[in-house]
Amino acid sequence: MKPEVIKLIAAIIIALVIGIGIGYAAGMGAAITVTTTVTITTPVTTPSPSPVKPPVTLIVVGPWAGAEMEAFMEALKAFEKEYPNIKVEYRIYRAEDLASIAPPQFEAGMAPGDVIFTAWGWWVKKMGEQGHLYDLSGQVNTEEYVKGIFDPVTSEDKIYGLPFTAWAKPGFWYRKSFFQKYGLKPPESWDEFLSLLDKLKDILGGPPIVTGNGVGWPISDVTEHFIITFGGPELQLKLINGEVMFTDPEARKVFEDYLVPLIKNGYFSEPIEWTRALELWWRGDYAIYFMGTWITGMVEDPEDISSFPLPGCKGVVMGTDYIIVPKYTKHPEEALLLAKWLATEGQRVHAGTKAGKFATWLKVGIEDHWAPMQSVFMKLKEMVPMPDLDDTVGGDWQKLFWDQLKLLWVEPDKLDEVLNTLAENFPKE
Amino acid sequence: MKARGSILSKFSFLIPSFILIIIFVIYPIVATIILSFNINPVPGIDITKGKPIGAENYYEVLLSFKFINRHGLETLSFPMGAIIHNIIWIALHLPLTIILGLLLATLFQHVKGGSIIRSFIFLGMVIPMIVGGLLIQFSFDKDLGVVNLFLKITGLEWAARSWTIYPNTALFSLILGSVWLWTGFTVTIYSAGLASIPKETIEAAVVDGADFKTILFKIIVPQLKPVTITVIAMTILWDLKIFDIVYASTLGGPGGASMVLALLMYDYFARVQNYPMAATVATILTIVILPVVVIWVRMITRGK
Repeated sequence: MKPEVIKLIAAIIIALVIGIGIGYAAGMGAAITVTTTVTITTPVTTPSPSPVKPPVTLIVVGPWAGAEMEAFMEALKAFEKEYPNIKVEYRIYRAEDLASIAPPQFEAGMAPGDVIFTAWGWWVKKMGEQGHLYDLSGQVNTEEYVKGIFDPVTSEDKIYGLPFTAWAKPGFWYRKSFFQKYGLKPPESWDEFLSLLDKLKDILGGPPIVTGNGVGWPISDVTEHFIITFGGPELQLKLINGEVMFTDPEARKVFEDYLVPLIKNGYFSEPIEWTRALELWWRGDYAIYFMGTWITGMVEDPEDISSFPLPGCKGVVMGTDYIIVPKYTKHPEEALLLAKWLATEGQRVHAGTKAGKFATWLKVGIEDHWAPMQSVFMKLKEMVPMPDLDDTVGGDWQKLFWDQLKLLWVEPDKLDEVLNTLAENFPKE
Repeated sequence: MKARGSILSKFSFLIPSFILIIIFVIYPIVATIILSFNINPVPGIDITKGKPIGAENYYEVLLSFKFINRHGLETLSFPMGAIIHNIIWIALHLPLTIILGLLLATLFQHVKGGSIIRSFIFLGMVIPMIVGGLLIQFSFDKDLGVVNLFLKITGLEWAARSWTIYPNTALFSLILGSVWLWTGFTVTIYSAGLASIPKETIEAAVVDGADFKTILFKIIVPQLKPVTITVIAMTILWDLKIFDIVYASTLGGPGGASMVLALLMYDYFARVQNYPMAATVATILTIVILPVVVIWVRMITRGK
């Protein structure tokens, strides 16, 4: 072999060795960073920031936009007023985007925000168990909160998320003025419900129930309402725990006898992007809409709307947005202070806005809530609070659940295929 | 001695590039491949979550109904699986964009204001693909979409519906939408190719009494062969790595009817945080893409 060729090969090998060496060094560096940050001792108490400290800007990540964001900003402004040395910058990330974007950032020792909100308890628990989040136990008195609210984010006595305000998914919303105009009233039996749907179909000349679409949660919400109504709250819990499969007769019956016939008879619209569906419902293209209590803050006149559950329904899905603090925040002291404040006094401010939410901190009285929510609260008092099925199971199955229900809505004849897919792919653990 | 030294000094200039290529191209490729076999590519960071080393991930992906759905294939109904959807995408998108690109480029070559019209067609390429995905979703919407508006105007109102939410039409809607987005590229490339064909050749054919069909198939198409090879290679690569359009408009649904390989990889990576499985799909995607690239590079380097 010619000497030039040998030298050239040698040069390439040296370059390869240097390149791989740099790559490994970078990798080792990252590994060391992670190890170091994981060993940070979690502060149990959060002293108020010293007044001599320079101003700190915290980034808060949340899912709210539009009217919901405006309501949330009121809580953040109240915090800034109380702690003038801490500025807060709000950034919008949907829960599904956050669940995609944050884990790789966490692995790299970074975080998209100092204080983060997400409704997915399963995700909070997972991130906490992987060592990316501060243990927040001791930050608040858990006895002062709605029972069971910490369960989804608790792992081995560690609490990785603090609850913020809660929502409920009480049933089908309607405009009082619309029902008055046509002499209609909320149904009290399944037959009355079917009769109401027929009347509405005649009035509108099309489907009376508007189906919200998006990543898929609006369809799963209405499905869960049918499960709780016709299978009872216990069926919802058994499905969540994997004790009953979607192919089992008791679950199948809910779909076969109640939900699928309604879809086949054209009572539900095609899935429509949920905020646009809201507009169409409000302007009278559709008569009823299954949605959460936040709908009260999204309509022009909240006094004109009311909701009814499916007759016989004993439970209501409730959920909250959890506040988490990643270990990679540059301002842990201030971030923990903000998280604690939002989980307590921040709830009082937020519940009083047009957010359409309830406080989970029991020190916030019913009188502190926005007036329309006070009447919603009174209606829901008798209902059994239930966890959200897909938000609790989570993971890849959550997306599969949404996707399969979208399929069922447009091709109800594929019920067997949908139920089999949901059962076969349910997480084994 | 002098000549040898000069060769070496020339190659020494390549070393910085080699280093960069190794760090940013070769190392990630190697890391992805070894990760797909459950070997941690970075010491000290366990991203395989203790899975045993082996080809288990490949079995899991290849046998997954998301990758190939046997029932869908047998009944010729959607979903058929991500790899089949990608193949359907290529089978429809490739000929459509080539034919449209060639015809439009030829047409606008001799039309007054053709360059302005070409600019409008090229707009599809300028739009970020994630926005393109949303535009496709709106275009096929029952109430807002231009496609359904066209159907209503032409008396086909019965066919109007939100095309992207039905399993049998979701994938085809996206493919048609991608034709609109990608045609700008083929028109531009073919326009450049057409400009390089000597006018005298076409004029001579006209003098000899050749019609448009003869000129197109006997002169233009053969002379544009190198351009067509590039267009085919680029389009196949684009189709195989298609992601953003699907993510923004259907998320691979309904019921997985529009799932594609790149979205499957993303789901494993971002949704499930199963990095070895994501690396496995990425490796499979690379294996599928590699022959296209090799053939293309060979043809280019051989001057075909």
